[in-house]
Amino acid sequence: MTNTNLVFKSLTRRKGRFLFTSLGIVIGMASFVTFMALGGSLKSQIERESAALGANLVVTPKGSCAYEQVSILTGEQLPTNITKDEVAAIRSIDGMMAIPYLAERSAIDNRPVSVMGILPGETREFKNWRLAQGEYFSHENAEGAVLGSVLAEQFGLLPGSEVRVRGSQIKVLGVLDETGGKDDLTVFLSLPVAQKLYDQKDLVSYVAVRVDHLDEVELYANKIKDQVSLGVVSDKQMRNSVLSIVGTVNITLQIIAAVAVLAAAFGIVNTMMTATYERRREIGILQAMGATRTGIFKLFIFESGIYGLIGGVGGAVLGGLAAVFAAPLISQNAATSFVKGAQSSFDPMMFVGAILFSTMVAMVAGLYPAIKASKLSPVEAISYE
Amino acid sequence: MNNSVISAKGLVKEYGQGATLVRALRGVDLDIPRGSFTCIIGASGHGKSTLMHLLGGLDYPTLGTVIIDGQEVSRLGNKELASLRAKKIGFVFQFFNLLHNLTAKENIETALMLAGVPDNEQERRAIELLELVGLGDKVNAKPGQLSGGQQQRVAIARALANDPPVLLMDEPTGNLDSEAEAEVMKVLENLKHQGKTIIFVTHSTEIAARSDNLICVRDGQIQEPQAFKKAS
Repeated sequence: MTNTNLVFKSLTRRKGRFLFTSLGIVIGMASFVTFMALGGSLKSQIERESAALGANLVVTPKGSCAYEQVSILTGEQLPTNITKDEVAAIRSIDGMMAIPYLAERSAIDNRPVSVMGILPGETREFKNWRLAQGEYFSHENAEGAVLGSVLAEQFGLLPGSEVRVRGSQIKVLGVLDETGGKDDLTVFLSLPVAQKLYDQKDLVSYVAVRVDHLDEVELYANKIKDQVSLGVVSDKQMRNSVLSIVGTVNITLQIIAAVAVLAAAFGIVNTMMTATYERRREIGILQAMGATRTGIFKLFIFESGIYGLIGGVGGAVLGGLAAVFAAPLISQNAATSFVKGAQSSFDPMMFVGAILFSTMVAMVAGLYPAIKASKLSPVEAISYE
Repeated sequence: MNNSVISAKGLVKEYGQGATLVRALRGVDLDIPRGSFTCIIGASGHGKSTLMHLLGGLDYPTLGTVIIDGQEVSRLGNKELASLRAKKIGFVFQFFNLLHNLTAKENIETALMLAGVPDNEQERRAIELLELVGLGDKVNAKPGQLSGGQQQRVAIARALANDPPVLLMDEPTGNLDSEAEAEVMKVLENLKHQGKTIIFVTHSTEIAARSDNLICVRDGQIQEPQAFKKAS
């Protein structure tokens, strides 16, 4: 017999109680891990998207809110209020490269996808794209579509296949190399073709600007503002604004999950208190046989810790699976679509952290019952009927 | 040379305070000779169990001293007292008090673990002890699968786990029929022959008559044993 054996035999004596208390902490931890997993790497994902945009400044319609800035990073549909003349005015400024985008949405097999109207040649150079399969747009007004690598794989599309965008069959010209960002999930059309398909004649959603000299970003922002009456935001401002929105949502979710863990911890307190009362006589017998108060304390705290360990392992596995399987289901709008990318950078250390956290919470929850158990006098415990 | 394994002097035990003060023992002096079969007898509520708890180091006296195998209980902290119980005293209770989720062998192994016997020696020793009390064939039986007499014999085997010099038994046959009582008494006879000191709290005058040292407790004090023997 060892302390571990004794603890396991005590735990499994009342199987129903053991199961339900364990389930409480498993569910609490699973929700915690899910939110941590989904939200934990959002920051790096947002930074990756921001870098993939390749711009120092973004020109948006005046009065664009933070939600629209999120949409720029996620490839969501955006209002198309920037005119051809405004684009030309911006592009006329020397010392910077300005690339207009028309951000729209469509569906393939009833699943929403981003459609982006681009200036093929300049965007390719701007983004440093490489082609994995097929051909790229042959000229600025070329018909056909170039697909992001993940999207092509998801829908089994190859050069020569056709995709239906807004009721029109479009031939797939080629597939880009993986970029690690939202471009992997986008259908690219040449700007004139996209404008025609979406009835947005001469209009674009936003203009991405890269300046030649990084220390002159502010100067160029002012130059653009002088030329056009549009909003200009630096990539840094945009990133911070997006991070602030996502961070708030993330913290709120984690607080809700923490409440679930706390509720489960009280479940452990309850179970262990009940065990203390039910097993008074047993505690007395152990004391009569020579168990010290510290020994009794350790047995009870160990039992609580086991609940936490089970909760941590179960919660980490369930939470991890939920993060993987639930992510595609909830990533249907701008605010949550980062989640899609976030899951791929799931940190295995989070599993270890979740298990340690859960065990620690359970042991803290077990402190009071363990102290109560260890403080029982042998006579009082043995005499208990 | 003092041959007492346990001795008590001026033992007083009080519970509660003020109006609720209960004086369970009111100045008890006694000596338990080593190797004796001592019976503590008395009516319910007169302080037998309290005396047993003090003699076994389960509790501290309010006043007076208890010396167990040379060690004064009041001078020991909780940890030392727990160690003294593990090494010097084997307890057997009226209601057997076996751990019901454990088998007979595991109950004994738990006591062996608490006494610090290494894991790999516990099984052999537990089986030996069960054989000693005639339960070699009930090693893997759980308490619920054993009769009252068998459970009490497991409890005795468990009390013997660390080969203590003293066995302290609180009405161990109080819940048994005469056949089971005879089984237990037979085991105790053997243990006495092996030199164990047995302190047996009982209501049974029959068992008391078989003792070689009789302590009668009445109103928290020791009554003249001779008077009791004559009365019985």
